[in-house]
Amino acid sequence: MPADANAIEARAIDWLIRQRDPDFDDWDGFADWLAEDGEHAAVYDALASLDRDLGALPRDRGNVRIAPAAPSDSPAPRRPSRRAWFGGAMAAALVAVIGVSTLNPFGNGTRIETAAGEHRTVALADGSLIEINGGSVVEIDPERPRFARLESGEAMFHVVHREKDPFVVETGDARIVDLGTAFNVVRRARQTSVAVSEGIVLYNPDRDKVRLVAGQAIDAGDDDRRPPAVRSIDVSSVGGWRSGLLVYNEAPLALVAEDLKRTAGIDVRIAPAAASLSFRGALIIDPDRNRTVSDLAALSGTTARRQDNGWILTR
Amino acid sequence: MALYDDSITGTFLTRRGGAARRDMAFQSNQFMTRSTDRADPAQGIEGVLLANRDRIIRFLQVRGAGESAEDLFQDLWMRLTERATGPIADPLSYAMRAANNLMLDRYRSARQRELRDKAWGEASDGHEPSAEASLISRQQLKQVQAAIAATGERPAHIFRRFRVDGASQRDIAQEMGLSLSTIEADLRKVYAALAALRRQFDAG
Repeated sequence: MPADANAIEARAIDWLIRQRDPDFDDWDGFADWLAEDGEHAAVYDALASLDRDLGALPRDRGNVRIAPAAPSDSPAPRRPSRRAWFGGAMAAALVAVIGVSTLNPFGNGTRIETAAGEHRTVALADGSLIEINGGSVVEIDPERPRFARLESGEAMFHVVHREKDPFVVETGDARIVDLGTAFNVVRRARQTSVAVSEGIVLYNPDRDKVRLVAGQAIDAGDDDRRPPAVRSIDVSSVGGWRSGLLVYNEAPLALVAEDLKRTAGIDVRIAPAAASLSFRGALIIDPDRNRTVSDLAALSGTTARRQDNGWILTR
Repeated sequence: MALYDDSITGTFLTRRGGAARRDMAFQSNQFMTRSTDRADPAQGIEGVLLANRDRIIRFLQVRGAGESAEDLFQDLWMRLTERATGPIADPLSYAMRAANNLMLDRYRSARQRELRDKAWGEASDGHEPSAEASLISRQQLKQVQAAIAATGERPAHIFRRFRVDGASQRDIAQEMGLSLSTIEADLRKVYAALAALRRQFDAG
């Protein structure tokens, strides 16, 4: 079938997937898409009709499958070795984690997962600290005390420096190697951001060789061909999520919404018409969430409206 | 993470600006509240349908109703007002979804009539077309299952959780330790495979 027909089909699939969310409310956007071309409704109907027939698919057998912690297509060498781990060593490695750590049945590591708005601090055996923002997943491995993996979300690392044994943080397929330091890492969909508040880190020493000193940051996309560009930042705002202060300079609203969700569990959705707006300014995570959201609305030139358990920003 | 850039002074300046403009934001909030008050449960779904009549009719039109959009609006009215429902969080969205389903039902009834006419003389059993009945055969459903499995273990599992178990993308992402975009990409992949299979059904 012709390429544009495939594109229509892909869009129709996107609508179908989105509409399965009971909270879906972009019916006007959907209507706009239908109005673009009479063919759109026909393609959508054919697919939606098939989708409805899928209701006849048998439910999964009763057994609950435990999904692997890492995507199955991630390179194998990254996984920790499969030797048995020692419960005692692990107990020693975790000081502040209270009974919430779950064992990853496929590796030897410990997986720490935080709910949106939940902040947690983990002390490692070597004295290093990891402050984990909400909505994040961090894996540590008692067998590798100088290693942590940020699977998703955001964490601030305060690392005790050892000359011959650098601390390594892995995220996506990037490696961040400390040279005695405190730094914040965010792992989003196909992007890694690193900001350094103390000391020096090396970003991908064997590939990009980017050296970051205190007051510097990078944003690296997974598909970038070149090493990420280093920019200057305000040291005092690094890891601002810990004190409830988020500072932005022309950040897309969607990114701000993602941070609010992670840091404070605030659900903010961005209406399509407002998606292209960017935000510049500081947000204080106020105990009164209305206040934080109305600040965001006022500063971005949008209107905040309650929706379900959160807000929607419209233009 | 924030893009840490502004100095702290700049920060407080912008914050003051925010406070000054907050009143405006609140005013518009109130306005929004008032306009949705028409959707108050006291007035019921009728109020929402009336207040959004043009919007819903336009939706039915672009959805393929053409000339009969006005009639279908009446159908929708009957469907929604006759049925006793509990409180609805977002009544307009609820009405739009019902309108969308109404159009899909029409499509399916028409398709069924078409298929029945095709099979005329073979095994016509005289049943009236119904939107509820499945349009694919048991054999085709097996092919669907095979096609889902063929997309790979992870996409197939994600798709089952999403479409069969009704889990949200966010929940699936959390339970599998994957990003939302990975979940979305896998779902698209499976749906694309099913769309291709559907074209084969049509051709066959």
